[in-house]
Amino acid sequence: MKRYLLQKTGGFLITLVLVSILTFFIVQVLPGDPALLMLGTEGTPEVYARLRNEMGLERPLLERYLRWLLSFLQGQWGNSWRYSMPVRGLVARAFPLSLSLAFLAVGVALLVATPAGMFMAAKPRSFAARFMSVTTLVGLGLPQFWVGLLLIQVFAVSLGLLPAGGGSSPVSLLLPTLTLAIPRAAILSRFMRVGMADALKQDYIRTAKAKGVAEGTLFFKHALRNGSLAAFTVAGLQFAQLLAGTIVVEQVFGLPGVGQLLLNGVFQRDLPVVQAVVMVIVFLILLFDLAFDLGLGVLDPRIRYE
Amino acid sequence: MYKRMLFSVVVAMITILLVGGPGLAQVLNIAIPQDPDSFDPVKTVAAATGEVAFNIYEGLVKATPQGEVEGALATHWTINDTGTVYTFYLREAFFHDGTPVTLDDVVSALNRARDPKIAVRAGELSMIKDVHPIETGVQIELHEPNGAFIYTLAEVYASIYPAHALDLARRPVGTGPYQLQEWVPNQGLELRRFDQHWSGKIPYFEQANFMIIPDENSMVLNLKAGRVNLIPRLEVAVLHQVENDPNLVILSSPMNLVQVFSINNARPPFDDLRVRKALALGTNREEILHGAAWGRGTLLDSALSPSMASFYNDSLHEVYPYDPQRAKELLEEAGQEDLQLVLTLPANYPLHVQAGELVAEQWKALGIQVDLQIVEWGTWLERVYTQRDYDVSVIGLAGRLDPHAILVRYTTGNSRNFFNFSNTRYDELIRLGLKTVGSERREVYLEAQEILAQELPGVFIMDPPQIAAMTRGVQGFKNYPTYVVDVASLYK
Repeated sequence: MKRYLLQKTGGFLITLVLVSILTFFIVQVLPGDPALLMLGTEGTPEVYARLRNEMGLERPLLERYLRWLLSFLQGQWGNSWRYSMPVRGLVARAFPLSLSLAFLAVGVALLVATPAGMFMAAKPRSFAARFMSVTTLVGLGLPQFWVGLLLIQVFAVSLGLLPAGGGSSPVSLLLPTLTLAIPRAAILSRFMRVGMADALKQDYIRTAKAKGVAEGTLFFKHALRNGSLAAFTVAGLQFAQLLAGTIVVEQVFGLPGVGQLLLNGVFQRDLPVVQAVVMVIVFLILLFDLAFDLGLGVLDPRIRYE
Repeated sequence: MYKRMLFSVVVAMITILLVGGPGLAQVLNIAIPQDPDSFDPVKTVAAATGEVAFNIYEGLVKATPQGEVEGALATHWTINDTGTVYTFYLREAFFHDGTPVTLDDVVSALNRARDPKIAVRAGELSMIKDVHPIETGVQIELHEPNGAFIYTLAEVYASIYPAHALDLARRPVGTGPYQLQEWVPNQGLELRRFDQHWSGKIPYFEQANFMIIPDENSMVLNLKAGRVNLIPRLEVAVLHQVENDPNLVILSSPMNLVQVFSINNARPPFDDLRVRKALALGTNREEILHGAAWGRGTLLDSALSPSMASFYNDSLHEVYPYDPQRAKELLEEAGQEDLQLVLTLPANYPLHVQAGELVAEQWKALGIQVDLQIVEWGTWLERVYTQRDYDVSVIGLAGRLDPHAILVRYTTGNSRNFFNFSNTRYDELIRLGLKTVGSERREVYLEAQEILAQELPGVFIMDPPQIAAMTRGVQGFKNYPTYVVDVASLYK
């Protein structure tokens, strides 16, 4: 276990450094430069030169990278070029929102998908199961921005029940959560169904059945633990993916999350912001990955870390 | 039964108290697509800043909806006989932090704005030779007479703020009718009414929230749901979603933006006027207006929008009307029957992309081979605007208060002249325009517009519509020729 943790931490650090190098140089390779983008069609060479100088863009690439890395490690993340605000404040404000959104969305998806998938596995030939199966396909096929707009139209415009956007109150997270949860619940319930159906076919279930274990115990205790493994793994991946921001949903609901910050950062070539956001995302994903690995060990005792 | 009735009466009363009771703050929610960049007047470059900052900062003078300037922190001003010394007389006014506006503040703000080591737009104030206080006001001395000078003082970079202010970028301190309370990037800005404004007038709305909503569809839905009261600049593509809504009011006016198919005048064969003429004659602008702007814009023939009423030349419609036959003949004359060109379109502007796609079809009908190249904005700025490495492109050029600021772009060697346009008479007129006043100045700019219409740095298309959508009941919306939202004039 100790060795495993050491190995993981080593990989962790190497990944972070590699990611920092990659993002730094990829943003450099992109055409268009931050000073030009700020000035638009009103730029003159003098103003342009001074902005570049202020941004430190005139220094050699390697020097800039090392300078950035050093100050980043010391906790000095610099100022955003686009917002003239400290990057740390921007990041600190955006992440809680995106984290709670990711957590809520996957949570709701799991809450819906687990019983639905179990039901579809238990009674595969019933009308309800067939209906659910079709519904999941629809849920998978709907484009997210459209679902979001539809939800706003119904719940905010027509019914006037929920706010149409903004991230200021917990209630305003309901619609975005739903938008994100629908396609994820669809995927998860399919994994759940397949996993459960598979588990129910196993020898140990037949043995248990032969021993006279009650149907309910058999289903919930014996099969569920094995059958849900795949769905939980996928849910973990979904969570990690949501950590990186939910650009479409944030755009539609006007949420000041990580996705918006990153998207605007990339469009404006706001290097300090892009760098910091990517680093934090990668850090969180690695952290989550570690926690998830350990968590799976609890769910499936066969998994051991040597 | 009685109990039940009593209960509903109590509920109703509480509801009335909570929702519509007197003394409740009047709040206006305005949707904008983008954040400001910085509130330091000499550092900001984003149009989104000016839109909000107009309510926070004021200069010695400020713009009017008619495109003129009127006194703001200066009650009035005088100009000496040679037109080189302007004397501004200050009024008694207070900054948002409660301190009075002093001569010292005015001088230091203006000096900072023209200091090339600090100010991004210092070049725009380079006509100033010296700024110094006199007993009753501030005297600004110019190197030579300059007709555009007074208008530059209404720009955001010439705003007045306290000499002692720190961190203007995030905590602006101005004299305007509203002060910035909070700014959360990607979410919004909260403005509070400033009760000590020199005008003595107290705006109706106590609080104005500028909400950042990047997606135009959800902007509209937020307006319909009542979360937003005003969209000052609605994308024309979503107009049909609001047009017939009885609860909304739509106001349409010229944007003071010049949409133009820029032609690289330095690159053969486009250096041949006959080829540029052929492109102009082969362009059906009416069709573009309907196809790209739902028929809502105003057709243009030169580089000024009709919203610049006092300088606009309205007699240029017949210079190059749509005539594909004549266009083909001209191409033949120029030996360019097999003309090939690359049309570069900026992907982030749907209006320009659509216009480009339409014109490509029109030009193809002349026998020209048009290759469309859609590029991201950063690439466009680098390749088309900066390196001027293109054949033909399309862009919208933002208007200003003064024609000089718009027209100087087309002079030989100007750094913003990505048309590579060059015309001696035109250069002369633009120089002359600064030295003349009144009707003489107007004549100069009329002729300058005529030259652009005839010599074609590009094919001018339209001033797109500026559409403001608001909840019924919001009144007093004023449209300005510059990119601002005047919150103080709004009421309910």
